[in-house]
Amino acid sequence: MKSKLALFLVLIMLISTMATGCTSSQTQAPAEPPKTEDPANEPEGPAAGEPVKVGAILPLSGSAAATGVKLKYAIEVAQEIINGEHPDIALPLAETMGLPNLGNAPIQVVFSDHQGNPEIAKTEAERLIQNEKVAALVGAYQSSATKPASQSAERFKVPFVAGSSSSAALTERGLNYFTRIAPNDDMETEVFFEYLKYLNEETNADIKTIGVVFIDNEYGVHAAEMVDKWLEEKYAADGFEKVVAVKYPTDVTSVDTEVQQIKAANPDVLFHASYIGDITQFVKKYKEFEFSPKAVVNYCGGFQDTQFVVNLDKDGDFFSGGAACAPTLFSTMEVADKINELFKVKSGGENIDGPALEEFASLMVVADAINQAKSTNGDAIMEVIRTAKFDAPYFSTGAIQFDEKGQNFYSASFIVQTQGAEYEAVFPVEIQTAKPIAPFPTWTERK
Amino acid sequence: MVKNKKTLIIIIAVLAALPLIFKSDSFHNIMVLLLIYATLGEAWNIITGFAGQISFGHAAFFGIGAYTSSVLFYRFDISPWVGMVLGGIFAAMVALIISYPTFRLKGSYFAIATLAVAEIIKQLFVSWKFVEGATGISLPIVDDSWLCMEFHTTKLPYIYIALGLFAIVIFVCNYIENSKTGFYLKAIRESHEVAESIGINTTNYKTLAMVISAFISAFAGSLYAQYVLYIDPFMIFTLDISIKIVLLTVLGGIGNIYGPLIGASILIPLSEITRVQLGGTGRGIDLMIFGLLVILVACYQPKGIIGLVNKVAKKFKKEGEGNVEANS
Repeated sequence: MKSKLALFLVLIMLISTMATGCTSSQTQAPAEPPKTEDPANEPEGPAAGEPVKVGAILPLSGSAAATGVKLKYAIEVAQEIINGEHPDIALPLAETMGLPNLGNAPIQVVFSDHQGNPEIAKTEAERLIQNEKVAALVGAYQSSATKPASQSAERFKVPFVAGSSSSAALTERGLNYFTRIAPNDDMETEVFFEYLKYLNEETNADIKTIGVVFIDNEYGVHAAEMVDKWLEEKYAADGFEKVVAVKYPTDVTSVDTEVQQIKAANPDVLFHASYIGDITQFVKKYKEFEFSPKAVVNYCGGFQDTQFVVNLDKDGDFFSGGAACAPTLFSTMEVADKINELFKVKSGGENIDGPALEEFASLMVVADAINQAKSTNGDAIMEVIRTAKFDAPYFSTGAIQFDEKGQNFYSASFIVQTQGAEYEAVFPVEIQTAKPIAPFPTWTERK
Repeated sequence: MVKNKKTLIIIIAVLAALPLIFKSDSFHNIMVLLLIYATLGEAWNIITGFAGQISFGHAAFFGIGAYTSSVLFYRFDISPWVGMVLGGIFAAMVALIISYPTFRLKGSYFAIATLAVAEIIKQLFVSWKFVEGATGISLPIVDDSWLCMEFHTTKLPYIYIALGLFAIVIFVCNYIENSKTGFYLKAIRESHEVAESIGINTTNYKTLAMVISAFISAFAGSLYAQYVLYIDPFMIFTLDISIKIVLLTVLGGIGNIYGPLIGASILIPLSEITRVQLGGTGRGIDLMIFGLLVILVACYQPKGIIGLVNKVAKKFKKEGEGNVEANS
């Protein structure tokens, strides 16, 4: 019996082995040279007609799947622009097919799903680097997934350009192969305070007391820490004061208690760090409990997802937050408008949002850097990424350039406010498409 | 017992040979995860399979191990090997402390209590600045080193560390299963009251099982942290890990030392293959297939794969005996 059992166990392991062995052999090109210890030092450049592979790690399933799919569309749009001929779009690599400096090699994006799980993000990053031989990585939206994935990229000396991950801690790790396009929550918080000061000057809002509402994960907790940091360092002197901080669990199903807690403290402004499902629940409860703060500012997350206005329609009006784009600006931003048109074909008519545009930018930057480096060598690509200034006419700032820590110092973010179920750019004044409305009308007044 | 040892040696030898035969990185990754989860399954089997106390909170001990070695390495440059041992000791101490109140509960109440304890520990780590709270710890990347347990050019060292740990654990489990303690634990599992009536100190033996189980889980946690090089409370104390441990052990065969390895040998490759092959589609198809297979096994083979093997073996034995009788 025992020997039969041993035989059975061995059989199971062998079957598993053969199955996984097959997986690997299918993804590895037979003509590949043997793996060297330092992939970055391999002589680079694809063979004629061979595509240059870039890995995109996104949450394509799990709680952020809806957002992940939109980010995938945005990256596909970038791939389409790079690989096709789009002389009508004034973007680097749009006019020609593929990467001109590499014999017009096309970019091939290999998508993978990290399910919102950091362990899977790390595993997928390694798989893409080792098996798929990607030249660079983009993604991974959730900061907690971007961290281990970029750690793996660092180990293999493969560039990782994060589009929309916002935790400031990402660029504080001293990594040499990591950069990020989105403004981090540190930068966003400063902009929020400047916006509030502007509201106090321009309207009769008289905003002083602050409430912070944040999800209990790295994104939320770090955002809340940034509020404390900026209050202590600068804005407490302007009369701002935190009166309540409400943390809610990642798997929250009802926010009644949280909203009652917020209402009891009655802050003038709420700083929200929430994903789309959570912020939708909160707004519905604010209405139910008739809680009307004077303003609400949202970190890059659920509010920026265009699903916010779909879910809430006019109940979602007067909320504001940092964003990399606003459809109302597209009429004055020709390139962004054309990108949006391509995006809408994939999304079924839905406009591109800030995080999606940032992920779009990440692939454009990577492709541009590979083209300028004339190589798929990690060090050569990173050298370009670190030193070059990339044209980004789809952002209000018009450019992307990274500082020594890898943070894009042209903060692409501005403040948008929902008015009539549309995102209007309200701050800074130079790009304003509408005047901000503050304080909020009460829920009764809205009727 | 001797036959068991021979079987175990064959299994360990096969496991040791596999990564040398199949050299793909994907396969090596699966081997590391498979061995870590099989070790966790063995640990869980001691308290649940042998002693019959259902725990849904083993991620807590796993997390304590991961955090102890990571914090010591990250803050004080102390080798993860030292952190691994200290993590085991901390986890065992925590198990000892929580065992006293929770072992006064029985059945589903104990299971709920373990869930609650794991959640409390998670919240402590989320709010604890010294361990970087919700932000988590990114372990420093150093050159390949056995001392620092970091290997970037090959996964083979991780596989053999995981295999070494698994081998020790499965022999310990085999020893416990066939020892007086193992028989006492099984007696407690079958009937708490009867075990007490024959003089077994049920609280002491259950606590001992919990402490050993926590100690082993923490070792696996330290190794996992060194492998992933990043931990945060949401990934490490998650219910998903506790459920995965339960799932693979139940699938393989609960209360049997081979069960966790069989379960892990099926679930981990299945999870990885479906995810890699189908994950990029953006529709979560891999998770659907995974869920469906788990439902099928749970519905048609509740005793696990090992139960199926035993059933088939018994059938063959009966047929063999029948043939002998007919011939005589």
